[in-house]
Amino acid sequence: MIIAERKPMKELLEMVSDVKRLLIVGCRGCVAVCSAGGDKEVSILSAALRLGVKRAGGEIDIHEDTLVRQCDPEYIEPLNDKGAKYDAVLSMACGVGVNFVADRCPDVNVLPALNTTFYGANLSSGEWKEMCAGCGACVLHLTGGLCPVARCAKSLSNGPCGGSQGGRCEINPDVDCIWQQIYDKLSSMNRKEELRQIMPIRDWTTAGHGGPRRRIREDLLP
Amino acid sequence: MMSGSNLENVLRSGTFAVTGELGPPKSGDMEVVRKKARILKGHVDAVNITDCQTAIVRMSSLTAGLIALSEGVEPVMQMTCRDRNRIGMQADILGASALGIKNLLCLTGDHQKFGNHPQAKGVFDMDSIQLLQMVKGMRDEKRFQCGEEIKKAEPRLFLGCAANPFADPFEFRPVRLAKKVEAGADFVQTQIIYNVEKFKKFMEIARDLGIHEKCFILAGVTPPKSLGMARYMKKFVPGLDVTDDVIQRLQDAKDQKEEGIDICVDIIKQVQDIPGVSGVHVMAIEWEEAVPEIVKRAGLSQRPEPKGIEPVLSSSGAIDEAVEKARREARLELEGELKKVKAEADASRDLLAKEKEKVASEISGLKKQVEEAKSMVSRKEAEIQKLTEELQKAKEAVSGTAAPAPVASKEAVAGVQEATVTVSSGALSAREQQVLSSLNKGLVALKEVLGLNDAQFEAMRRFLEAEFMLQLGTAVRETAQVTEAPQVQAEAPPAAVTPAPAAEPVEEERPAEEEKPQRPKEVVNLVAQGNVALHAKDFKKAVELFKKALEISPEDEKAKEGLEEARKALLEEKEAADKAVKIKEVEGLPPCPDEIDPDEWKRKWVVRFTARGNVALMKGDFETAKKEFQKALDLDPDYEKAKDGLARAEKGEDIFIPDVKPGEVEAAAPAPEEKKIEKEAAEAKEEKPAKEEAVQEKPAPPEEAKEEAVKEAPKPKAKVEISAPAGEGVGELEVAPLPKDEPPLEERAKGIPEEVYKEPCTGVIQSVTIGDGDKAITVGGETALPFHAFEGEIPNLPRTAFEVLDSPPEEWPEVLLKYYSDVVNDSAAWARKCVNEFGAQAICLSLDSTDPNGANVSSADAAQVAKKVIEAVDVPIILWGCGNAEKDTETLREITGLVENRNVCIGPLTDANYRTLGATAMAFQYPVVASTPIDVNLAKQLNILLENLGVHLDHILMDPSIGAVGYGLEYTYSVMERIRLAALTQQDEKLSPPIICNLGREVWKAKETRLPTDAELGDQEKRGVLMEAITASTLLLAGGELTVMRHPKAINLTNVLVEGML
Amino acid sequence: MSKIKGFCCNYTLSVEVDALKEEGLVPEDLEIERLPCTGRLEVPEILDAFTKGAEAVFVVGCQVDKCHNLSGSYRASKRVKYAKKILEELDMNPDLVEMFFAGRGETEPVVEAARTMASRA
Repeated sequence: MIIAERKPMKELLEMVSDVKRLLIVGCRGCVAVCSAGGDKEVSILSAALRLGVKRAGGEIDIHEDTLVRQCDPEYIEPLNDKGAKYDAVLSMACGVGVNFVADRCPDVNVLPALNTTFYGANLSSGEWKEMCAGCGACVLHLTGGLCPVARCAKSLSNGPCGGSQGGRCEINPDVDCIWQQIYDKLSSMNRKEELRQIMPIRDWTTAGHGGPRRRIREDLLP
Repeated sequence: MMSGSNLENVLRSGTFAVTGELGPPKSGDMEVVRKKARILKGHVDAVNITDCQTAIVRMSSLTAGLIALSEGVEPVMQMTCRDRNRIGMQADILGASALGIKNLLCLTGDHQKFGNHPQAKGVFDMDSIQLLQMVKGMRDEKRFQCGEEIKKAEPRLFLGCAANPFADPFEFRPVRLAKKVEAGADFVQTQIIYNVEKFKKFMEIARDLGIHEKCFILAGVTPPKSLGMARYMKKFVPGLDVTDDVIQRLQDAKDQKEEGIDICVDIIKQVQDIPGVSGVHVMAIEWEEAVPEIVKRAGLSQRPEPKGIEPVLSSSGAIDEAVEKARREARLELEGELKKVKAEADASRDLLAKEKEKVASEISGLKKQVEEAKSMVSRKEAEIQKLTEELQKAKEAVSGTAAPAPVASKEAVAGVQEATVTVSSGALSAREQQVLSSLNKGLVALKEVLGLNDAQFEAMRRFLEAEFMLQLGTAVRETAQVTEAPQVQAEAPPAAVTPAPAAEPVEEERPAEEEKPQRPKEVVNLVAQGNVALHAKDFKKAVELFKKALEISPEDEKAKEGLEEARKALLEEKEAADKAVKIKEVEGLPPCPDEIDPDEWKRKWVVRFTARGNVALMKGDFETAKKEFQKALDLDPDYEKAKDGLARAEKGEDIFIPDVKPGEVEAAAPAPEEKKIEKEAAEAKEEKPAKEEAVQEKPAPPEEAKEEAVKEAPKPKAKVEISAPAGEGVGELEVAPLPKDEPPLEERAKGIPEEVYKEPCTGVIQSVTIGDGDKAITVGGETALPFHAFEGEIPNLPRTAFEVLDSPPEEWPEVLLKYYSDVVNDSAAWARKCVNEFGAQAICLSLDSTDPNGANVSSADAAQVAKKVIEAVDVPIILWGCGNAEKDTETLREITGLVENRNVCIGPLTDANYRTLGATAMAFQYPVVASTPIDVNLAKQLNILLENLGVHLDHILMDPSIGAVGYGLEYTYSVMERIRLAALTQQDEKLSPPIICNLGREVWKAKETRLPTDAELGDQEKRGVLMEAITASTLLLAGGELTVMRHPKAINLTNVLVEGML
Repeated sequence: MSKIKGFCCNYTLSVEVDALKEEGLVPEDLEIERLPCTGRLEVPEILDAFTKGAEAVFVVGCQVDKCHNLSGSYRASKRVKYAKKILEELDMNPDLVEMFFAGRGETEPVVEAARTMASRA
């Protein structure tokens, strides 16, 4: 799931400082699940902005709406007409949603309410962790399903660096050394000999370094 | 040998190696590196140069490594994967190798979080193992990481890596080292060892894996500088195992530094005994001074003689040496040069002496002549005496008979006359005078014989005169009078061998000078010669002579004075000459533009005047022709063409003067103004002969079949038949003229006061002429709004140019292309077809192919095409660039260089290139197209800029950037209308140039002209033609004077409309 | 709008607010909103109370382990926590909103809460 978090109130207040009529649009996709941009967050943000604007001596008319998803054209279709009636539309979707609204709704002044952070999992209520970097060239079959690209601070390919100590990464004791985990995992599976193989230098074009990425499935094209 | 580095040599020789570490400074201070290198020099075999360790920005390891190398210390350049991707790293590896770095330690690098830029983006394009693989590939397989071959000079590097025996998972550590060795590591340096026991275990596993046989293992050691440092390392440095024993030893020590060194030495001694350890890596971080002591105490101070440490870039000492060497060489060279110059000077002195001798002998010869002359004089005197006596006698004899006196011999008369002259000259005696005159004659002869120039001759003459006078003992003042040279007067006395008489008061006032050693004779002579030259106005020579004099005697006042005077005179002369040249230019020709050589300018004008003369000749205007040819001959009397022309103009009678064809006049000029008729008639006159010539005199026009058509159609624009397949939609290209049966306006408006419907304008549009001779067209000149002939004068009809492309058009629809399909590959043929078949009055050559964003044809090639087109047709040509300001400048200049004397129009000039192209246009007097983005003010501004540059408004056509119908036509219309109103009703002169509308390209790129024929949109060709014709007619109504169009039918439609309305 | 706003669980306060005011036990400008359960209270309502003019807001719910709806007052306390965070982000004193717990039918803690908040406002 795409993980995101609300931008600091100050940044948002700054963003809407000239806005008189604002529509906050949530998304019931990933950001609702990670409690960043669903219905609830929309109403909280709405109340918080009202309070913030009032305290700053301003006035703002805020309306709320939440779409099923902001990354599918059929859901954001009505937003073009509706959003055009507002000075701005504050999207609480991930960056994908904001971009898509900007692409598809030319009459809408769309603003981002969230910082899109990573592809992660929900460890427990209120805690999310990065698990994938979307690098486009998965090596998880070689690493016991644990990703060194997303979960190693230096995205190492060939084992832990000299900073691995007690299963922790040198950059932060809160961070696990994923290579220790990979080593342990493969050891437990009697596969640790595989780690003697040198993983060759990576091709980063699939990770976006070859330009914006795009996927096409011919059989599904209209 | 992988690299031949000193470290490699030492390790391979089996000697226990010692390497050190050098952290580059956090500044650009080279001295820091030098200092550290000097401390380590001789105590270690190589020194690691860290690469921004702990992610703190420091001087790059490559640079610091080179500095160390220049100090004679072999660097082990460290390279991390944190800051560069594979492109940057390989680039640095090549550079390092090129500059003599032979060891490379490959590291992943500390995470940026630890450094002073934790916000930085960590690159980590690869890890250390992949880096080793990459460099090994570059070295052994001569391939870049991408697989591409390194053609030569692949990096020869001894590759190292790091290993941390104390990090987790412990069992994996030797395995990981094995991976590094497999990837390419030749040696390894370990993390700092305090826990020797653990390291021993590590080595055991390593030995089991056979690592020690494949690679040299250097144990890393560091002297703890203090207890605090040891504690810090224990606590905060990940992967560093500082034992309690070490802490304890430091705690108990009196001198912690001493103890630290001892701890380090102890560890070295312990690891030395571990099998498979080939050396130690001593990392005395910011404590380099400790290294020599550690090495000494460890018994390792006997380092092998360094090998292979050769800085490619020199150290400052070497630089000094090189500078000194260069200086020496330069001095030697200079000395040689000096000798040569001296020898030359000696030679010239000898020559001078010889010259003098020669002159002296000449003088003696002359003296002889003088003697002869003298004797002759005395003889003549005797004769005269005799004659006088005879005369006396005769007188006496005939006193009574009055018989005429016998005629005296010629000689006698001459003698008498000379005598008379001599007497009248006063100061000199008759004899001296005569001698002088003889002397002069002799000198003249001598001049011819010796081939002297006037100045030389004059100088010599005066010199001799002076000599003569002095020899004769004549007073100085008199000599001066004869020579009329005050300078000589001043210098003459010392020049003479005899001391100066008291004629020089200045000299008298400074008797001290007299006592000074005599000025060297040489100097005196040189100064005298200089003065003579000065007087003879040969200032250059004078300057030279004075300079020579000063070389010999630098303090010589006279010479100095003379030199100054001569220099001043030289300067004045030059100024005067410059002024004269300038005046000449201003008088004869327009000012020469800066970028053109004045001679070139002159030549251009010779050609130009001749061309004008020829034009006048063709018109039968012999007077003008004569004048023009004369002008050309004034500039260049040898110009054959002008001579011929002048001769023809003077003969005159055999030039054909055509009749005026009334029909032509009527059709073209229905307006009642007499002046206009005259003008049209003149035009018709001009057109006629060429045509008749083509038909009658020339064997045949290019296509025989067209002859008849031309004959039948004196008005080709409306009636020419075409050979191209006629479009189904438009049928015949011919367009019937508009009916003219409507009664004139005056009749229709009878009874209505004129001021009700007439609103005369106060301004006037500029007339601009393009092209040469009888085919030239003039546009503009009107004093009324478009087609408002009843309000003012419209002397020139709007005109149309056919657009011709310099390369086959790529996007022309078939309905348009079919008319030109046979000629699209040859622009010249295309242009000819437009003229011969479609009756084009002008051609606009679009140089689209030169566009740098398109085919990017070179300017030179485009110019050749343009030249061919220009030569192929005699109608006016507009050269229209691709719209890229820079390229257009290049192309159009290239073309103007080939055009010679055809009056082409060039464009588009924009605010980006008006300066260069404007200057070119001005130089050749070409009209220009001033192109601006659809805006009144911008158009005006460009006109002003061009005018400031010197381009007259009557050489400008404004291109306001137009749009086709449906594509912004209304915007174009209103802008053009405003331009016209400003020019005509507000007398805004800066907006008065005529407007050119390059509309064909706009129309034919519109979607509507490209969609195929269908029921709804109708016939495609008809649609296109109408779009083009409607766009054109609308733009003409808005004020356009010249259109550039494509479809022949559309052009005919437009022309018929114009003729019908005017 | 009153200066102090309280949200109370239906099960806490058992005395009419006006009576408390008459007694002078609570500030005159106190307004109490009764909720079936504080677990129903959402962050926007707390924030909106401030927007509408309240200077301090408090919530009184059941003791955490004695909520009629099991975890209602626990949830309320979490929301108060988030409201505090937002107040902080808006440069407001986070102590202007507070969660209090009271036993079933107890009035005293509510009075105490109202007084505490009045002193903070």
